[in-house]
Amino acid sequence: MKPEFFDRLFNYFSWGCSILLVGAVLTIVGFLIANGYQSLNLHLIFDDTRPLDAIFLKSQVFDGLFPAIAGTLFLITLSIIVAIPLGLATGIFLAEYCPPKIKGSFSLLFDILAGIPSIVVGLFGFCVTIFLHHYFYTRLFPCLLISALSLAFLVLPYIIRTTQISLETLPLSVRLTAPSLGATKLQNIFYVLLPSSLSGILSGIILSIGRCAEDTAVIMLTGAVATAGIPKSVFSSFEALPFYIYYISSQYSDNSELMKGYGACLILLFICISLFVFAHWIKKRLSQKILYRP
Amino acid sequence: MDVKETIFKSVFFAASILSAGITLFILGFMIVLALPILKQGLFFDMLTGPWAPDHGLFGLGPMIIGTICIALMALVISFPVSLGCSFFIGILNPRGLGKWLKKIIESMTAVPTVIYGFVGIFFLVPLVRELFLKGSGMCILSAAIMLSILISPTMILFFVQSFSMVPQNDLNAVDALGGNTAQKFFYVVLPHSWKGMLTGIILSFGRAMGDTLIALMISGNSVAFPGSVLDSARTLTAHIALIIAADFDSIEFKTIFLSSIFLYIMTSFGIIMSRFSFKKRKTINET
Amino acid sequence: MIIRNLTALLIFMIMLFFLVAGNCFAGELDRFKGEKQVLRISGGTAHIPVMKEAAKRIMTFNPDIRITIAGGGSGAGIKQVGEGLVDIGNSGRKATEAEINKYGLKMIKWAIDGVAAVVNPKNLVKTLTRQQLQDIFSGKIANWKELGGNDKPINVYTRDKASGTRSIFWKKALEKKDITSRANVVVSNGAMKTAVNNDPYSIGYVSVGFINDSVFAIVLDGVKPTMDSVKQGQYTVARGLYSNTKGDVKGLAKKFIDYLLGPEGQKIALEKGFIPVS
Repeated sequence: MKPEFFDRLFNYFSWGCSILLVGAVLTIVGFLIANGYQSLNLHLIFDDTRPLDAIFLKSQVFDGLFPAIAGTLFLITLSIIVAIPLGLATGIFLAEYCPPKIKGSFSLLFDILAGIPSIVVGLFGFCVTIFLHHYFYTRLFPCLLISALSLAFLVLPYIIRTTQISLETLPLSVRLTAPSLGATKLQNIFYVLLPSSLSGILSGIILSIGRCAEDTAVIMLTGAVATAGIPKSVFSSFEALPFYIYYISSQYSDNSELMKGYGACLILLFICISLFVFAHWIKKRLSQKILYRP
Repeated sequence: MDVKETIFKSVFFAASILSAGITLFILGFMIVLALPILKQGLFFDMLTGPWAPDHGLFGLGPMIIGTICIALMALVISFPVSLGCSFFIGILNPRGLGKWLKKIIESMTAVPTVIYGFVGIFFLVPLVRELFLKGSGMCILSAAIMLSILISPTMILFFVQSFSMVPQNDLNAVDALGGNTAQKFFYVVLPHSWKGMLTGIILSFGRAMGDTLIALMISGNSVAFPGSVLDSARTLTAHIALIIAADFDSIEFKTIFLSSIFLYIMTSFGIIMSRFSFKKRKTINET
Repeated sequence: MIIRNLTALLIFMIMLFFLVAGNCFAGELDRFKGEKQVLRISGGTAHIPVMKEAAKRIMTFNPDIRITIAGGGSGAGIKQVGEGLVDIGNSGRKATEAEINKYGLKMIKWAIDGVAAVVNPKNLVKTLTRQQLQDIFSGKIANWKELGGNDKPINVYTRDKASGTRSIFWKKALEKKDITSRANVVVSNGAMKTAVNNDPYSIGYVSVGFINDSVFAIVLDGVKPTMDSVKQGQYTVARGLYSNTKGDVKGLAKKFIDYLLGPEGQKIALEKGFIPVS
């Protein structure tokens, strides 16, 4: 066996695998676009309702994606509102205050939380709701609020981790300047450390938003339904894009419904990929800004 | 000023306790809800027995086997491909193309699983059915193929990260001694990076096991012990999704708590293992 | 084109947060005037097309009403309404004595439906006897060849245990014989129809109301399952479609059920392939 033979084999193998994987991804995206591009129009979202009427809730959209898109947006907003303060505070604690002894067990717990299958988190949300419904408040059902809370738990570890790491990896020169000028620890955190690590934290948050937008297992257990319209309050059931896709995939009744499924896939894919690209852009832009600050 | 410091410090501390508490509370709650079953001492029967509610049998055996088969097979498909891709990115990097491949793979982490499932139903399942001429196409193989695409970014990014930790000096030394790429890989890269690679493999396995939608949509969900890769099978996660839609105070319903405890413990175990194998890991990639 | 639509989409997303409400316009729907509540419906998946159409008409008439519809199957419908999680729980079978006593359920039957074994339209097998059907579902007959079809293994599809459709089919067509554990499991009537339509070698069973040209309804013991044969009692695998409430029906739920039982609601049921009760 000649050495070049290995080299060549190694080369072919790497090229082959890369082409295979990229090919698979292109097939998936291409398949969706080839089948779904025709359905991408306003009719897909608003059906026969006039768009402005729908947005101002003058009339409801029944067969369009509008309620699902709205549901997903509400869901993301709510869960992020819950997850950000909790995640930031925890991240700050871990990076700045936590004694090294308990830091290990804390991060282990957050790693575990990040690893729990989302359906288990969904089941947890569902059971807690049933429990509360039974013993405390009979008007509580699986609803938008419950889904949002469960999703918040799901994305919490991402926010915690990115916050903690962004803070911990700040250079000492940044970290020590303010205290040496007499700033308190708290002032240092809020006026220096957090702003300096903003890019990392922000991209973590945006990635969490993407996770909220795509997760299906949690919401199908905690309040997403086939038909709900625009949710009236956080205590009502809702529609969501990923759940809509799942629902259509198993029970479309005719071709036009299936086309809507393809359309919904493309919209969701677009939303998730844009959030991802946006997160990276922010990371890049902000870190440059900080580096080149006069 | 001191008061303010203390207040904020306790707020931060409380938040951490709350976040950490949730993790433990989820497990605790599931155990409490599964207690009626655990108390009957049927734990091991349930983990291994067959599922036939009409005959009073509520074993999770087929689902556990199904879960492990699908996840393992996804791993078997994904591992060589990921290895090849990470060679491409980390070692070969022809004409700077590696950077672009890495970008594509990173953005793959943003693709929703429900989309993999959707494409699975309408593209892969008919393909598998026509190709193998056996079964409905909704089978372990179809689910494993889709899952392998889902988990490969996790694996590749871990592989690439661990390759990048190999000291450049050692690599240069191999080049200077006239070693070829394969030697470089087996004698320098692998000894330095196998721990990181193992972490990637463990975490990908956890991700494959924990995914619900792909298995629910394309693995067929039958409750028989699978006999071949073209057989329909049900995973624990799909089992939870199917049963919860149905019922909530029967024995069937209580078995889903057992399923979630099993999933919880398996994934936690994986994470603890990966911590031991690779302490320097800094970022959590997609779960 | 795509870009323009997406820009439009973005604008809508932003505007969505500025909410306003308005009003609309008559006949049988008048009873819904002035209502503002949310009506929660879940359960039987055969009911969904009728529920959706009724909800659409009611909410178009009065946009202040929200009607949410979820599936889950008859078992889920009964349990959820019993636990008070929904206002109306649909079921494709009668609630059992135990369920009625436990929860104090009130059953209202608003349509009659049949359950038919279905195969892919391409399948050569068009008629079966009960015995053959039972042997297929128990796994004894495993190849279409044995029944005069192509030499292909039979792919059996079934529903989960909570399904009312399953319980009626199991009782009346399979006469309580086993269903093979190798059967693929799907979650609703709609999903069954889709699965059978996609798989040329499949057999499953759906509500007669769901049958169209995407699936072929097997002629069972010489009787073709159609609305007429169910109505006249020749096709015996039949059942009622029920809506259940906890305790006496009242409020918006009562209005909704009255609407279903009224001429317009019954017409919707007929259009969706079910047999009206009045």
